[in-house]
Amino acid sequence: MPYEWIPAPADRQRLHLWPHRSLTQRGFVWFVGGTAALITVPLVGVLGSPVVWALLPFLLGTIWAIWFALRKNGRDRDIVEDLTLSPDHVTLTRHGPKGERQDWEANPYWLRVTLHPTGGPVPNYLTLKGEGREVELGAFLSEEERIALSRDLSERLAALR
Amino acid sequence: MADAAIHGHEHHKPGFFTRWFMSTNHKDIGILYLFAGGLVGLISVIFTVYMRMELMEPGVQYMCQEGMRLTAAAAGDVCTPNGHIWNVTVTAHGILMMFFVVIPALFGGFGNYFMPLQIGAPDMAFPRMNNLSFWLFIAGTSLAVASLFAPGGGGDLGTGSGVGWVLYPPLSTTAEGGYAMDLAIFAVHLSGASSILGAINMITTFLNMRAPGMTMHKVPLFAWSIFVTAWLVLLALPVLAGAITMLLTDRNFGTTFFSPSGGGDPVLYQHILWFFGHPEVYIIILPAFGIISQVIATFSKKPIFGYLPMVYAMVAIGVLGFVVWAHHMYTAGLSLTQQSYFMLATMVIAVPTGIKVFSWIATMWGGSVEFKTPMLWAFGFLFLFTVGGVTGIVLSQAPVDRAYHDTYYVVAHFHYVMSLGAVFGIFAGVYFWIGKMSGRQYPEWAGKLHFWMMFIGSNLTFFPQHFLGRQGMPRRYIDYPEAFAYWNWFSSIGAFISFASFVFFIGIVVYTLRWGQRVTENNYWNEYADTLEWTLPSPPPEHTFEQLPKREDWDKSHAH
Repeated sequence: MPYEWIPAPADRQRLHLWPHRSLTQRGFVWFVGGTAALITVPLVGVLGSPVVWALLPFLLGTIWAIWFALRKNGRDRDIVEDLTLSPDHVTLTRHGPKGERQDWEANPYWLRVTLHPTGGPVPNYLTLKGEGREVELGAFLSEEERIALSRDLSERLAALR
Repeated sequence: MADAAIHGHEHHKPGFFTRWFMSTNHKDIGILYLFAGGLVGLISVIFTVYMRMELMEPGVQYMCQEGMRLTAAAAGDVCTPNGHIWNVTVTAHGILMMFFVVIPALFGGFGNYFMPLQIGAPDMAFPRMNNLSFWLFIAGTSLAVASLFAPGGGGDLGTGSGVGWVLYPPLSTTAEGGYAMDLAIFAVHLSGASSILGAINMITTFLNMRAPGMTMHKVPLFAWSIFVTAWLVLLALPVLAGAITMLLTDRNFGTTFFSPSGGGDPVLYQHILWFFGHPEVYIIILPAFGIISQVIATFSKKPIFGYLPMVYAMVAIGVLGFVVWAHHMYTAGLSLTQQSYFMLATMVIAVPTGIKVFSWIATMWGGSVEFKTPMLWAFGFLFLFTVGGVTGIVLSQAPVDRAYHDTYYVVAHFHYVMSLGAVFGIFAGVYFWIGKMSGRQYPEWAGKLHFWMMFIGSNLTFFPQHFLGRQGMPRRYIDYPEAFAYWNWFSSIGAFISFASFVFFIGIVVYTLRWGQRVTENNYWNEYADTLEWTLPSPPPEHTFEQLPKREDWDKSHAH
């Protein structure tokens, strides 16, 4: 599940959310490694001839291209939303793909957690409203995850107040 | 973080030009690939009709040095054979079919449209690169067609290059002057670049954008087939790019990679070409495997038999495809040891292929088989692919290949496997998904008539070619002795019937898109069509799966 309550000091609660990614680091290594191994097979027959130098740039270029594409796609999804709840303060920080950072904070007493079944970019769109600004939370999660998170967050906030 | 966007989520609807000429939407690009592949296919098939007209009777009646004819020369008319036209036609047919018809339709068309849908991805990983891939393919096609009209090695006999799709040196380097050959090489280059970019996109999408919970062992078989194909493209096409770049430098910059006069070796080109060329066969056929698996499961009303063996058979076919290339070169002077290895390795491919064929049959076994049009095409595929596979086993034997090499037996074999197998896969896919893609359904009777015309026509075309090959008729010739006349006549009649079926198919597509019955259900087949595209309206909206799909939509208890 791409959100997790992580350990925090006693008077705080900390939630991390990130988009789903189906390729693991291990999978990346296996795929690129296997591709690199197989793509060198035709070189075996031409070792020691000038043909190696004609083939090599294309083969290396291909390995670089698939490496870059998988990494780039991974980086584009490199988003972490970091929500901290404490009795007097709620902060939300969003770390974007290119090191962008956006911050928001509110007083938990006045904070409103709303689940919009319709009208948002996704069904059951989850937002937090406080300090005159409404921001989204976990728009990249699945619908079930947003519903569950909304319930969980409301309960934790109620306990906090 | 992003400010909330409630009531602010409107998609801009693109105009006609923006939608079709600047598209980054995987579904639109898939449709573009299908239509472009179909158009190039028509051009390529017209070439074959002309070739079969010429081969219908002994003697040369149409391809004359006095000019090309559309009707047979009347008695007394002089017709001096023009072998250059023949060579150019054979070459163009091969290059167009190998690079610009089947792969774009199956991999570019269905792969683009349905692979992201089946894994629940909103689009391809790199939508603009997807657009680039498509237009590189169009540019390559244009160069291939332009090559037909550019000065080539024929001198006064006509334009175009006639060295065969494999572009073997020294024919392609020293024997063919003029830039028709260079244009053909550039065409293949652009096609290769397009395919590599497309493959990188498909692989990234498949590996990184599958729905939560959809592990590699739960991915639908069509999506798997596209992934394995993309991987083969990634491994094989760069080798071809290197080989034809060396051809270009040998032609234009005085290098001698493939010329013995400077220490090079023309047989080395054959090795490199076939290192690409044999996997190319699987690149062409694997997506058809995926389509056939989906169709057979749907119309047998059973989950596919042996899902995991089916997946690993595809992977095994892909891997083995890279270690058997020299079975195309038994007569090029390989040592006995090499021939023994390539024989054995080639025969091993029959094992994973057999797993697939038996699993398809086992899926039907005990099922409630419904003979809808896509299922007829799947049956046709099974028959043709199996016939082609069996003759492949025959040809894999080096001693037997001595007799059959470069005869019509080989022509029959590879047309059964690749062209008929792959083309029947394309038609199965078109009839299976046209309602989903267009929101309109084809007339069932017309689809069935198309199938029977094509099945009879294609078998009549290619089955007699086995006999011609056994009689010793060599391929790539404009004429033949009287002894081969009997079966050539039948073969030509078959080709004409097949062509008529293709024209009829174009009519079916036009009728369906304009007047076909509207599809109102998401899933107009049955519950065994259980992949994610069947949860969407027909046609699907412009943007799909902007939110992650629900697991119960694709992870059915009876699925796989």
